[in-house]
Amino acid sequence: MKRLALITLPLTLVLLAVSSYLALVVAPTEATMGDVQRIFYYHVPSAWVGGFCFFINFVASIWYLWKRSPRSDALAAASAEVGVVFCAVLLIEGTLWARPVWGIWWTWDARLTTTLVLWLIYVSYLVLRRFSAGQTQVMAAALAVFAFADVPIVYMSIRWFRTQHPSPVMGGGENSGLAPAMLQVFLVNLALFTVLGILFIWLRYKLETAEQALESAHAQAALKGAA
Amino acid sequence: MSSIAFLKAAYIVAWAAYLAYLMRILLRMKKVETEMKDLERGK
Repeated sequence: MKRLALITLPLTLVLLAVSSYLALVVAPTEATMGDVQRIFYYHVPSAWVGGFCFFINFVASIWYLWKRSPRSDALAAASAEVGVVFCAVLLIEGTLWARPVWGIWWTWDARLTTTLVLWLIYVSYLVLRRFSAGQTQVMAAALAVFAFADVPIVYMSIRWFRTQHPSPVMGGGENSGLAPAMLQVFLVNLALFTVLGILFIWLRYKLETAEQALESAHAQAALKGAA
Repeated sequence: MSSIAFLKAAYIVAWAAYLAYLMRILLRMKKVETEMKDLERGK
């Protein structure tokens, strides 16, 4: 544990420090919103990592339903939990950006609502894993397959509907895009957050497999005691 | 509240959330390791 902490804690601090430095110091100030626009450099990478985690959860769940592999179930559990954390940060940062820019904390527009629904679905997935008995892994995997359907809806919501949420910054047509200096910071932060997400998934996966091993050791000990 | 306060809050929340989550995983890992050792000692 000590060795893991010695690796992961400094690495996390470095990733957060570098991404904050780039966003708060290196990136130029946006002309209309001013400094509050810098929330974007944490908001969008958090969204990307959340979606990435839910995609891993989706693939691992399909693999579990097919092969019944405990390792893929562990990966599904790990990625869902990490995704929920990143998605929670995304939602909080969104409200902290919306208050000074829109004058409101929240509005029920398509992007915000579908994102909140996505977060609630994966929270319910984690609750299901924690509190149900019997075929928990199968039920969780089945839920995960349906849950992932909301991810493309969230992504496309600002293209399909007229929303208060800003239109796509990347790939949103003629008027979309970022200034080169902003784009560089954004892409580096995207990469740094991806590393952070993978680090968390790996660590949480190790925990999940260790908990599975402990559970089976307890079961074996109980069987020996009964014999 | 100025917009800078919201910017600071956003970064503080993100740092706090990610570091708290990391610490939670590490503490749970420590607990599992201790339980496993206790179980092996009891054999």
